[in-house]
Amino acid sequence: MSMPPLPVTSNSQELGDSGQSNVLGKRLNKIFETRLDTDKETLEALKELSTFFTENSIQSRRNLRSKIEKRSLAINEEFLSAFTKVKDALDTVYNDVVSIDSEVRGMSMHLQATRAQTYQLIEHTTQLQAQRKKLSMEQEVASAFLERYQLSPAELTVLHGSTRDSPITPVFFTALQRAQTIHSDCRVLMQSGFQTVALDIMEQMSLHQEAALERLYRWTQSHCRSVESTETAALLTEAMSCLQDRPVLFKYVLDEYGSCRRAALVRAFIDALTKGGGTLKPIEMHANDPKRYVGDMLAWLHQVIPSEKESLNTLMSLCSKIDVSDHIQQILASITEGVCHPLKVRVDRILSTDATTTILYSVASLLGYYHQIFSQVVPESMLLGTLAEVRILAQNRFLSALQGRVKQHLADRLDTPPPDLSPSTSVSALMSLLKEVLSVAGVADGRPEDITKMVGVVLDPLLQAVNLSAARLPTTDMAVYLLNCLYQMQTTLSLYGFMDNRLERLQAQSDAQLDTLTSEQASSLVANLNLGPIYTILQETSRGPLANVPGMDAASLKHFLVKLDGFLALPDILLLPQISLLLSTIHRNNVKQRAFEVICTVYKQLFAAVHDPVNGYQNPSSLISRTPEQVQELLLGNGS
Amino acid sequence: MSVGPYNYSYIFKYIIIGDMGVGKSCLLHQFTEKKFMSDCPHTIGVEFGTRIIEVSGQKIKLQIWDTAGQERFRAVTRSYYRGAAGALMVYDITRRSTYNHLSSWLTDTRNLTNPSTVIFLIGNKCDLNAARDVTYEEAKQFADENGLMFVEASAKSGENVEEAFLETAKKIYQSIQDGRLDLNAAESGVQHKPSQPGGRNTLVNDQTASKDSCSC
Repeated sequence: MSMPPLPVTSNSQELGDSGQSNVLGKRLNKIFETRLDTDKETLEALKELSTFFTENSIQSRRNLRSKIEKRSLAINEEFLSAFTKVKDALDTVYNDVVSIDSEVRGMSMHLQATRAQTYQLIEHTTQLQAQRKKLSMEQEVASAFLERYQLSPAELTVLHGSTRDSPITPVFFTALQRAQTIHSDCRVLMQSGFQTVALDIMEQMSLHQEAALERLYRWTQSHCRSVESTETAALLTEAMSCLQDRPVLFKYVLDEYGSCRRAALVRAFIDALTKGGGTLKPIEMHANDPKRYVGDMLAWLHQVIPSEKESLNTLMSLCSKIDVSDHIQQILASITEGVCHPLKVRVDRILSTDATTTILYSVASLLGYYHQIFSQVVPESMLLGTLAEVRILAQNRFLSALQGRVKQHLADRLDTPPPDLSPSTSVSALMSLLKEVLSVAGVADGRPEDITKMVGVVLDPLLQAVNLSAARLPTTDMAVYLLNCLYQMQTTLSLYGFMDNRLERLQAQSDAQLDTLTSEQASSLVANLNLGPIYTILQETSRGPLANVPGMDAASLKHFLVKLDGFLALPDILLLPQISLLLSTIHRNNVKQRAFEVICTVYKQLFAAVHDPVNGYQNPSSLISRTPEQVQELLLGNGS
Repeated sequence: MSVGPYNYSYIFKYIIIGDMGVGKSCLLHQFTEKKFMSDCPHTIGVEFGTRIIEVSGQKIKLQIWDTAGQERFRAVTRSYYRGAAGALMVYDITRRSTYNHLSSWLTDTRNLTNPSTVIFLIGNKCDLNAARDVTYEEAKQFADENGLMFVEASAKSGENVEEAFLETAKKIYQSIQDGRLDLNAAESGVQHKPSQPGGRNTLVNDQTASKDSCSC
């Protein structure tokens, strides 16, 4: 491969001016040192050259420069055309950009304008948004307020009831309670200055409450009879507790309840009377046994009352604001009203039959007992009134029956006293009747006035009759007979209580008769002993010495003293025969003693007179030997 | 659901009988008040006491009618046997006469009550063992022969008092469970409190219907 000499030559020439040999040498060295195979540019150039410099001729060498220039020109031309294209393209781009720019500018302008235009809108929107926020806040507050101070539609429905007859449920009470709470919460509202709204709400709530209570009242009134079913009972109890603030409604409900129970009780009573239960015989089975019949009826009623009371207590168990005991008493009284009639009819019927005196008495006493029982259980009730009424009726029936029997006895058998002057049979009969009745005594401790009345019914006519029949007898007989009758009455009555008054009266009557009898006996003694004239003379004040008075001389006195001796030996011999007929030894002794005392007194006077020297008796001690003390000892010593 | 206002499911009616002075009222007092009444007056007619007990998880209200032992009140007390679910027949272990009268009390009870009535024999005053006049065995035999429940108790110490009342209630409750005691029968001595299916409720319904229409 041959090196192009030209550049080398030229180079050597250029260098030849300054430092010829050195430069040249350097050049040459450089050339020689040039390692062609490593010089890439040269290689490329040579490689390029090889493509068109195919023929190494002088011609071609000469042409080479132009050839290369030609090639260079072609290449530049090619560049030119290529760049022309580029320029065109760039022009297009430029135009595009310009139009884009103008577009953009327009748009920007437009935007600017729009922005200017929407500024107000945005402002408005922001305002609205703020307003919205505020409003929603207010809404929240309002709904919270409503929730707190208004009843929900559901609650309203519950309170007012979807239909007239829709039932009361536990929810109702919650709603009612809420209305109440709201009502009272309004106070807070009022204190915070919202008077108008608070008053409005309060009024509204009051209206709701009123309506609800009205409805509750209607419901309660129609359901109060079901107090025995647990569920209803629970609601009823609560309802009553709500209604306790409305006394009128409360009262109406209780009245209704009372009339329900009244009807039920009558029914149950009639059932117990006529049907019985299980194997229990109906109460009326014993209608022929008045005591049992009346007793069973009243015991049944007595036993029913605790349950009724219990139910009432349950019904009002939540009514803590009022005192229910009065209500309970009133309703109990009303509940028991119904049974009064059936009870009275039956008791009346029993009393109108010909029951015996003792049965009537025990029925009256039973009624008295229950009157007392019921006066504790249901005071001031019609039942109590009915009992009082039938009790009086029974008492009167009894008394008139007793009167009837007394009359019968007296009419039949009180004609003449028996010869032995013992009480007539009617006295014993009536006394045993009285005993019989009094021994029934019965369950109630009879009231003193009843017993006194009853004793009077027997005794008064009896005494009258006895006095009448005694009036026909001689005095002594009469006194003995009366004493015997009175004695029997006294012994009978003294066994019972409440008789003090009556016994006192009888005693006074006895005492009068005893006085009569004593004076009779004393007179008889005086007469028998011939003491009469002696006694008379002794009493005379103006007289001379007694020994000279006729009848008082020693002989007469002796005669008397002999008689007296006989009497003193056997004092009873001179007793009136009737005295021994006295039933009471006390009476007997009393009469005897008092009569003997009379004799003793006279004897004492006589003794003193005889021993008085004024009276001129000779040797008085031998004339009248016995001292008054001895006489007294003989007559009264044993007797007393 | 709220608990109903009744805190019990049944009412049992009891009657206490026996001679005067055997301690009937004291037993009742001990049972209801858990106290001994040392100078208890004679009962006039009948007295009344209640207590709620529990049997098999059921609350039961006992309505107890305490009768006078005195003869003069028999006419009254006999009327209270009617419809008793339980009869407590009491004698005094220190007084033989009160034991000897038991058969007459028993006759009365059988005649006047339902066959389902539970009769419980109580020998009271067992604290006075030294003065005992009736042996336990003898009374036990009498009870067994007559199909009575029996216990010796003391109203003073309280011994067995609770048991006597409770056992009676258990027996009655059992009779209800077994269906021997018909709750719907009137005067069974037992009332079923929650919603009686028949019984007294039915009595109520029709009577007041006429009133409703005019209620204002």
